[in-house]
Amino acid sequence: MGVLALVGTRKGLFLLTADDDRKSWHAEGPVLDGWGVYHAIVDERDGTIYAAANHLVYGPTVERSTDGGKTWKRSRQVALPEESGLTVNATWCVRPGRPDEPGTLYLGGDPAFLARSIDGGETWEANRGILEHPTRNRWPPSRGGLVLHCIQLDPTDDKRMYVAISGGGTFRTDDGGATWIPKNKDVEFDLVPDPYPEVGQCVHKLLLHPARPERLWQQNHCGVYRSDDRGDTWERLDGNGLPGPFGFTIMVDPADPDTAVVIPEKGYEYHHTVNGLSVYRTRDGGQTWELIADGLPEQAWAAVLREASAFDSESMYFGTQSGSFFALTNSDSWVEGVRHLPPILSVEVTSWSG
Amino acid sequence: MVRVVVPSMLAAQAEGRQRFEVDAETVGEALHALPVADLVIDERGELRQYVNVYVDQTDARERGGLACPLTGEQEVRIVAMLSGG
Repeated sequence: MGVLALVGTRKGLFLLTADDDRKSWHAEGPVLDGWGVYHAIVDERDGTIYAAANHLVYGPTVERSTDGGKTWKRSRQVALPEESGLTVNATWCVRPGRPDEPGTLYLGGDPAFLARSIDGGETWEANRGILEHPTRNRWPPSRGGLVLHCIQLDPTDDKRMYVAISGGGTFRTDDGGATWIPKNKDVEFDLVPDPYPEVGQCVHKLLLHPARPERLWQQNHCGVYRSDDRGDTWERLDGNGLPGPFGFTIMVDPADPDTAVVIPEKGYEYHHTVNGLSVYRTRDGGQTWELIADGLPEQAWAAVLREASAFDSESMYFGTQSGSFFALTNSDSWVEGVRHLPPILSVEVTSWSG
Repeated sequence: MVRVVVPSMLAAQAEGRQRFEVDAETVGEALHALPVADLVIDERGELRQYVNVYVDQTDARERGGLACPLTGEQEVRIVAMLSGG
């Protein structure tokens, strides 16, 4: 077995493959040529690839392929209810549903909408609980959009899931999506007069730990946080050895709930790494952080976006806006598997038998 | 019949077809008859902002947009307006 990385870029989707050692990578593509692939993922239930593909002129779409990316079928037009007064600006992420609900998928996008498909991605219906949330008028849109992303399903409870909104904060449902509870206690939003509002926080990436689903990690606009109680309370962790609070992405080790990896960037007005391309890892739940620098360039001013990282049981992966794809080998050394891709927007990985 | 010509990215979304022949009395009817209608018309039924449609040599927006009448054997050409560097 090897590994397949789906690398979404501003100019299409690339399929990267490597053997188990993850040291030598082969790129094919682009498929969906010309489309900005904000996210692409393999549905492990049946092998279908789904892609949130957007174009400056042709608008937002969701594409799917049942033949490994050779041919694609577009969802029927993704639309929001007319009475909402909202229209879809972009599709941002696709999340396959649970193993026991074949054909169900979730879609997040701009302006802060969650949609569900129950027919394998042919049609999508917007979730009213998010669209009509009583706090929605306190979710500040910004130049990058008002984006719902990071749809996380609790594997132990079919009714519980989480979404993150930039900037609206983290929300949890315990009733299958009918109602959504803000889960932003102790999460700072230092750009506004009240730095600890109920909602409005700019979550950059939210991850549920698959082996300990009550544990959540988030890289926020204002810090790195961990919750051990399903988002009820959060502990801030970026004062413990990280060069700064700002970054977009975060990765976890599925075998170790205490391990997380972040890529800090100079603050929100700048969006690039400092001190080369520096990646930091904690192995103690965020109490301390160590630099994992081996294999990364010292002269770099890179930017790694929210969806542009992934993890599996063996490794971690990320891609830069300068078109380089990195994989962690031997736990402590990065390999630049491919370079000179278009700006990388998203990375997902799955097993592959070439 | 009206001939409709689409750019290559739209053709890629239509199994490679770049030319279509459709029965249509307006530009809107012609676009809706395409397998890529949703890529040129938005969810509220409007022509997407940066999609231009030319009927023979005339910009359809100058003749009512989607309501622009089509008569006889005209050619409808779709152009994506992209700029930048």
